[in-house]
Order: sequence, then C-alpha cells, then structure tokens
Amino acid sequence: MRRGGGVAVITIAALMLAQAQPALAYLKFGVPVNGAQVTLRWAQPQVRYYISDKSRLPGVTVDQFQAAVGRAFDRWQAVPTAAITYQFSGFTSALPGQDDGLSTLGALDRPDLNRVLASTSFLIDTTTGELLESDVFFNAAFPWSVSPGGEAGTYDLESIAVHEIGHMSGLGHSALGETELREGGGRRVVAAGAVMFPIAFAAGSVEQRTLKADDIAGISDLYPDGGFGAALGSISGRVTRNGQPVFGAHVVAFDPAARSMVATFTLTAEGRFSMGGLSPGPHVLRIEPLDDADVESFFDVSRTVDVDFGVTFLDRLVVVPQGGDSGEVAVAVRPK
Amino acid sequence: MTHPGCALIAALGLVACAPLAALAQPSQRPEPGRVEVGFGWTWTGRAAIGTGDAPEATSSGGALSLFRTSTEVAAARGVEGRVGFRLTSALALEASGGYAVASLRTEISGDYESSPPVTATESVRQFTVGGSLLWHLRHSRGRPAGVEPFLSAGGGYLRELHEGSVLVDTGRFYQVGGGVKVLVVSQQRAWLKGIGLRLDARARARTGGVVFDDRFRVSPSVSAAVYARF
Repeated sequence: MRRGGGVAVITIAALMLAQAQPALAYLKFGVPVNGAQVTLRWAQPQVRYYISDKSRLPGVTVDQFQAAVGRAFDRWQAVPTAAITYQFSGFTSALPGQDDGLSTLGALDRPDLNRVLASTSFLIDTTTGELLESDVFFNAAFPWSVSPGGEAGTYDLESIAVHEIGHMSGLGHSALGETELREGGGRRVVAAGAVMFPIAFAAGSVEQRTLKADDIAGISDLYPDGGFGAALGSISGRVTRNGQPVFGAHVVAFDPAARSMVATFTLTAEGRFSMGGLSPGPHVLRIEPLDDADVESFFDVSRTVDVDFGVTFLDRLVVVPQGGDSGEVAVAVRPK
Repeated sequence: MTHPGCALIAALGLVACAPLAALAQPSQRPEPGRVEVGFGWTWTGRAAIGTGDAPEATSSGGALSLFRTSTEVAAARGVEGRVGFRLTSALALEASGGYAVASLRTEISGDYESSPPVTATESVRQFTVGGSLLWHLRHSRGRPAGVEPFLSAGGGYLRELHEGSVLVDTGRFYQVGGGVKVLVVSQQRAWLKGIGLRLDARARARTGGVVFDDRFRVSPSVSAAVYARF
C-alpha cells in the first residue's frame, strides 16, 4: 500500500500457520528505487525498538513480552559476523502498524487472520530505499507462552519473535525446510533448516529460537562486520534446464566440514544465483524446485517460478575461496 | 604437466644403458658414496574423511537428514625427489619433496526427495616437504651384494591446493616403513659412485590439509625411484 510523501508501507505476512500469504520476499528484500532494485536494510546498524503496552497476548504480561522479545533480539545481535545491534528504547502506548516513526512490537487481536501468527511491516522512503520504521504484531487470537521449555498447545513467543526480527532486519523467507500437505488444507512442517522458513513449527516447539547457518549468512550479508568479507566467501552461478534458464530454483550449498546449509534462489531471467557468507572449502550444491511452501511466500505473485524439474546435485564439489567468489558455476538440472 | 611415470621411465633407461662391466659385484664393503639423490613415482592410498548428514531441525529438537554425504581423499599419484646424506654406514638423513594429484570425493545419497545418488569430486594438488631417518640393515642374513634393506621414519609439511587453486589448506604428515635399495651400477673411484633402484612401502598418517578436522588418518604409500650416489 502506497502512502504520500515518497513513503510506502510494505507488510509481510511473516509467519504463517499452514498457508502462505502473498509476500515480497527473497533472501533479502528488494525495494525499487528509480528503476533499480535496492536492498532493504537499516541505514544505521543500531536499531531502536519500542514495546507496546497498550495490548497484551493472552497469558503473557508486558514485562514477560519485553523479556522474551529481548532474548530474541539478543540472538541476532550475537551473530559474530554481523554488525547490527538492537536497543530497547522503552514502552509506548502506540500499537504496531502505526506510522509514527517508532519501530514497535506488540499484540493485536486479529481473529480474522486465522493463519497468521505474527507479521512485520515496513515504512520505507521510496526515494532512497531507506528503512524508516518496522513494526511487528503478534496475533493475540492464538495461545502464547514464554515458558523456558515451551508449553504444549501454545506458541513460543521467543521463537516467533526471532523469525519476525529477521524480517525487521531486512531478511526474507528461506526455503530450507520440508513440509507435507495436510488433509484439511495447508502444510505441516516436517523439518526446517532456517529460522526464516515461512511456516512455523507446531505449537509447543521452541526449536526455532536457535539461528541456523542460513540465517547467520543472511544477516551477515546484510550487515557485514569488518571481517565478514575477508573470512568468508561466496558461490555464484547459473541454473538451466535443457539449455534454458530456470527462474526461482532453490539452490542449497552444503558444507560437509561444518555440516551446515545456506540457500538462495536463482533470481534473474538468466537463471543466475549468488550466495555469500559461506565457509571457505568444498561445498555440495543441491538444486530443487520450490515445492515446500507456497511460491507467494518467497516471490512477488507476478513472477512465474519454474518448478518443473527434479532435485539435482552438481557432480562436482564447488570450492569457496576465503574472501572471494567461486567463479560461475553452471548447473543443468534434470527434467522431471 | 609432467606425467609422473615419465621421469621413472627415463631414469630406468639411463640405468639400462650403463656399461655391463660396471654392474655391482658381490661385496661386504659399505656401499660407496655419502650423498644420495633420488627421484621417482609415488602412490598414496585413499583416506576416509568422514560422513555427514545435511541436517534440518524437527519441531522436537531432533534432526531430519536432507541427504547424506561420505567424503574421502582418493588415492594420490605423483612424483617424489630425495636428497640423502649418510651419517654413518647404517644411518642416513633424508630430505624429500613431492607433488601428487588426488581428488576429493563426496558420495551423496539418501536424498529426502529421492534424488539419485551422485558422487561430487574436485581435483586436489598436493605438495609435500619432509625429512626422514633411514636405518640400513647392513648385516641382514642372506643379503645379496648391492641390496640394502632399510627402515625409515619421518614426517613433513603438507600443502594442498583445491581445484583452480582458489584455496590452500596446510597440514602435516608422519610416516614409518621400510624398503630396499638395489645398487645396479657401482663405480668406487668415479665421481658418480653408483646408480640404483629403490622401493619404499610406508604407512603415512596425515592431519590437516583438505580433511575436515585434525584427526590423523593413516594410508598406505609406496614409491619406486631411481637414485644416484656421489
């Protein structure tokens, strides 16, 4: 939704129960500025945030809310290769979603959004691409918990906050996860390789409090610290099927030494991809169609994502140099 | 690139052309010469690096394997040069340098979405610099003249370049073993005092380099070389 004065509000249906909602997400968000795509990020690496005390989640006091959200911020701030920091600046009577210049996290009772646990919105200066404000609301229509070990039948506030703060920092969704279709519609998450996977684990799980390699690579790519570029490397390349470029292929790089995965998509009409934040050394490349979440969780609905190919492993190891790029890797995926 | 076998074949040709009159004769005297220079072919067996799953977390804190991998450094073939110095009639100190080409191989299987198994590889170039002590078994029974069995132990520095030379890994190796030297040409009074063949068999333990951790991995290693004594 566009507002006056060169400012736009973008809402991300950030963490869904079972059915993805339209979103504008890649690994990083892109903002069109004067005909060019600009990466959405905070201009200043210290983000000030406020907690709304005007409304509450059921069973969670405002102080408990602030503490759980604070722990979630701490997890992102602790990433050693990222320079972003977050500062709690106090309580506010404003609700999340108000364009007041304050980045506010709080509760909203939205029973109408019966598949959305939480959502992040941005206020962006569309003349510069600068991120001005980001609000997060947690849906009070669901049961919540701040119990250290989680609580059966309730959603863990800290886990969901970790995901939303990833969005608030500028990260889109990751497709590192496996799902299965549910009888009543939607999907059930079997496993996830990133906190930024768009669908939440079942109620009671606290697993997604912990950042994975893919999340760490993403935040470090957005806000690199001094040694990030020199210590780590990247892989870039191109994916084709029968000689034709493939758009929207999910490219996973597995480091067999660290046993960790980082992923991205082919994001150009030529089928090109690039992913940074990788450990130096040989990597296994796995290319798969986007079939474990709705395409709209990752791409603008106007884009046609190619899913008509089978999971393909590259038959050579791709070596990531320290502080550099692998050089173009050509992958021909196998037809289904 | 020089094929590792070429040097050995050329050297063998040199030996074959030596005058028959100069062939070694049975003798109980120490083999002539204090300095020995050798060059030949070497083979080192595979070293398993390890297995690893590509993990995704489940809601209960467990792990789902997206696929499995098993990685090894495949057998390496290359060339090796040595310079040795006799400290006593039995003991020698050697410096060596080697170059070999191996491949890093990762077998991928058990894909969650049933993608067929694949082996992904990359070429690795290995450079070694090391030293060894050799103990010649000069009084072994039934030893024909000109034949010298020996025991050896040593170690050195390992430098491995990944494909395209985009990344260098370094490590160490240690080796123990033994072998035999066969003196084919002997000239007591000449500057070049002898030419012979040498066979080595060793157990080589390596740590670091392209492998993923600092554990030692032991592989068999054999070499065949031509040497000259001065």
